[in-house]
Parts: sequence; C-alpha cells; structure tokens
Amino acid sequence: MDVRKGEVVVIIGPSGSGKSTLLRCINRLEEYDAGRIVVDGILLDNAQNINAVRQEIGMVFQSFSLFAHLTVMENLTLAQRVVRKRSRDESQEIALELLTKVGIPDKALAYPIQLSGGQQQRVAIARALAMNPKIMLFDEPTSALDPEMIKEVLDVMLALAKEGMTMVVVSHEMGFARAAANRMILMDEGQIVDEATPEKLFASSHERTKLFLSKVLHMY
Amino acid sequence: MDGQPKPRPSGSKLAYLPGAESITRIDPWWGLVVLVVGLTVTLVTVRADPFWRILLFVRDGVAVTALITVSAFVFTLIAGMIGGLGRLSRNPVIHGVATLYVEIVRGIPLLVQLIWWYFAFPVVVQGIGRWLNIAAIANYQANAIVTAVIGLTVCYGAYMSEIYRAGIQSVPKDQAEAARSLGMTHFQSMRHVILPQAVRMVLPPVGNELIALLKDSCLVSVVAVADLTRRGREFMAVHFNPIEVWTMVALLYLIMTLFLARLVSWVEKKTHFER
Repeated sequence: MDVRKGEVVVIIGPSGSGKSTLLRCINRLEEYDAGRIVVDGILLDNAQNINAVRQEIGMVFQSFSLFAHLTVMENLTLAQRVVRKRSRDESQEIALELLTKVGIPDKALAYPIQLSGGQQQRVAIARALAMNPKIMLFDEPTSALDPEMIKEVLDVMLALAKEGMTMVVVSHEMGFARAAANRMILMDEGQIVDEATPEKLFASSHERTKLFLSKVLHMY
Repeated sequence: MDGQPKPRPSGSKLAYLPGAESITRIDPWWGLVVLVVGLTVTLVTVRADPFWRILLFVRDGVAVTALITVSAFVFTLIAGMIGGLGRLSRNPVIHGVATLYVEIVRGIPLLVQLIWWYFAFPVVVQGIGRWLNIAAIANYQANAIVTAVIGLTVCYGAYMSEIYRAGIQSVPKDQAEAARSLGMTHFQSMRHVILPQAVRMVLPPVGNELIALLKDSCLVSVVAVADLTRRGREFMAVHFNPIEVWTMVALLYLIMTLFLARLVSWVEKKTHFER
C-alpha cells in the first residue's frame, strides 16, 4: 500500500478486519511480524528512530486520549516543548492558532473533562497538528461521538484535507470519504480486498465490497 | 455531642439543591477533634497531677516520634517509587531484585525487621569496613534513630512499591499511547503524563500508609529510641500509674493521627482531577 504526499486515503471494512491495526503499525503502536513499513523514506525497523519518526506522524484516537490532568493549552504545548524543544511562548502561540482553527479558542484553559466529546476530539486533532506532522492518522475519530458532534469534527478533517495534508483515515463516515478521499481501501480479515476512488468503490463489482456497502450504506 | 448542629438526613429533598452539600454533611472529623482535644485539655487542667506532669515528661518523645515518622515517610516515598518502577521493569534483573525485595520484606514482621536492623546491621557494616580496611566504617556505631528510620523505610518502602506499581498500571493505556505517538520517549511520557496521574491516583493509599507509619513508629521504642511510647514507659516505670500514662499517650497519638488524616485529605482535594 502506498500513500503519496497530499493524498487522503480512507480505509473501511468490518470490525476485526485489521483496519486499526494497520493504522497503528504505521507509527509502531503495534508491532508487525513481516514486511516493511517506510515512512517519508525512513524504514521503520529499529527502536532508535521510532521517536523521531513519530514526531512526523500525527495520530488521532477514537477515545480522544487527551491528557486528563492537563488543561487544553498544556495538552497542546507539552509535546511541542518536550519533543520539539520549542519555547513556552512559541508553543502557546501555535497552540492558540490551532485552537482557533478547530473552532474553540475560548476553551484553552479548560480541562478535558469539561469539554464535550466533539470538542475533545477537535483538541486532539489540534494537539497532533501542533507537532507539524507530515502525515495524520485518524483511527475512527468519530465513532465514539454523539451524532450531533460528528459534523464538527468531520468539518475540521475536511478543511485539513483541502489544505493538502496527507491523511490516512479509518472511518465509517461514507459522506466524508466521498467528499475528501482520493482513494478508499476496503479491508477484510486482515487483507486489502479492494482499492479505488470513492466513486469507483461505491460502484464496485467486487463481491465483498458490494456486501459490505449494502450493509453500511443503508444508513445514509 | 453537645453544641453540634444536627446533620440533615441525606434523603432530604433539600440535599439536591446546589450549595446544600456544605450543610447536609457535617464533617465528623471536627467532632472527633473537639472530643479528643477537649478530653486532653480537661484531664490536664482538672487533674494536673499526674496528667500535666506526664505531658511535660513525654513531650520530647512526641518530637522524636514526629521526626522519625516524617523522615521515614520521605524516604519511603522515594524507595516506593524506585521499587514500583523496578517491579514494572522489563529488565529481568531489575524486576527480579525488586520482586525479591518486596516479597522478603512483606514476609517478615516489622518489629523483627527493626530489631534486626538495630542489632545486625551495624555488625554487617563493621564487617564490611574491616574487609575493605576502612577504619571509619569498621568502627561504625549504630545511631538508634538512624537505624530505626532505615528499618521503617525499608519495610514501608516495599508496601509503597506495590502501591506505586498499582497506581502506574491503573493509568489508562491510551494516555501512554497518545504520549508516545506524539514522539515522546518512554521516559518523557512517564515523567509528564503517566507519573503525574499515577501519583494523584495513589494519594489515598499513600496517605493511609503515612498514618499507619505514625502508629507503627511506636515499635522503635523497643530498639532504644526515646519516642513517645518509650517516654511513656519510662514515666510509668518510675511512678507506677499505667492507666493515666497510657491514656495520655493514646490521646497524644490520636491527636497526631487526626491532624495527619486531615492533612492527607486536604492534599487529596487539592490535587484531585476528574477523568
């Protein structure tokens, strides 16, 4: 599987098909037994370079995973200061810019528990973007959200895609895929089963694809 | 308890209004403090002989008890952190040593450990000094308070290690994942994300250990340390009035633990965060 710079790839498939595992292999949150993963020309094989590589990969989790003991601002600046070694002022400026971009600059001093799910996820996206990554990974970012909050998060992701960010997204949000994806991949039982542009995939004649889409698309 | 406003029953409809909390739950701690301090002051003024004399006699023991408890606690916090991290280490040697330490220390009664430290430890040190041929070490004389603090630290450090270990393990895995995926090293994620949360989570059991430590510190009276218990014994040996002496000593311990418990819950409230 190749992802080119600026591409948005959306991975779909039934649960247990290995979509999240594949995503988590890219920044080595999961270990892989065979094959090669190359990110930005760097082979992901030894423990030495993994931290450096992870700085260039931003990840957004289904459960937001914000640092519960820190304010939103501290969440955004911690990695900047500790990993990218930016000054406090610089990192706060960048953080505030990103918070404005995702639409919640007024929540800078709140704690994650005080935010709604949609707000937390937008903070999580801002936190990942604060590191200026080259590629963003999204692991079912809206699956844990109330339906009303899904749109605000997808809007942020859409804007990001339009700016040219390289994104790999695991999601069930077909609307987002249709709007933003350059390519969609269907996975089943650990294998990539089908791969095409959204239009072609929705019209695919592949058996497994048709089966999956028939079960999922009735919701939209 | 006279003079105390009656607490409203918790099933009261008013209990659900904002601000009602402060009225509906009378803090029992204040009641206990008033009772205990009141009793002590009453005894000391109404029956100055012997209670006031006992208090005067044992007051330096109170200072020694406080000193030992605080020092042992500070060192225990450090020992517990090291032990806890050791128990979580993936390195088999470190993990093995830490596990051995915890299992052995938890298997021997504290009193026996304290006695061992007092009698055996100096001999061991002197032996090492002679083997290394360093006169200063070979002539090591035990300082009772130092060996008592060492003994308490080693023992409570083992229990504290398990508390730390449980605390670190109870921080949700996704916190570490998020930290690592941002590019933080294992050490950075521990220092900035995991440990701050783990420490807040273990404050209740750690506070308990501190209070237990204060009470267990009385065992050092057996190994030549002039703490509160020992001073009580000394007074009683001369004046033969066990009831008065031990009532006074018990009240003094109770006052200390009451205030310590209050300090612990204050610290808990200050550092509490919602997940």
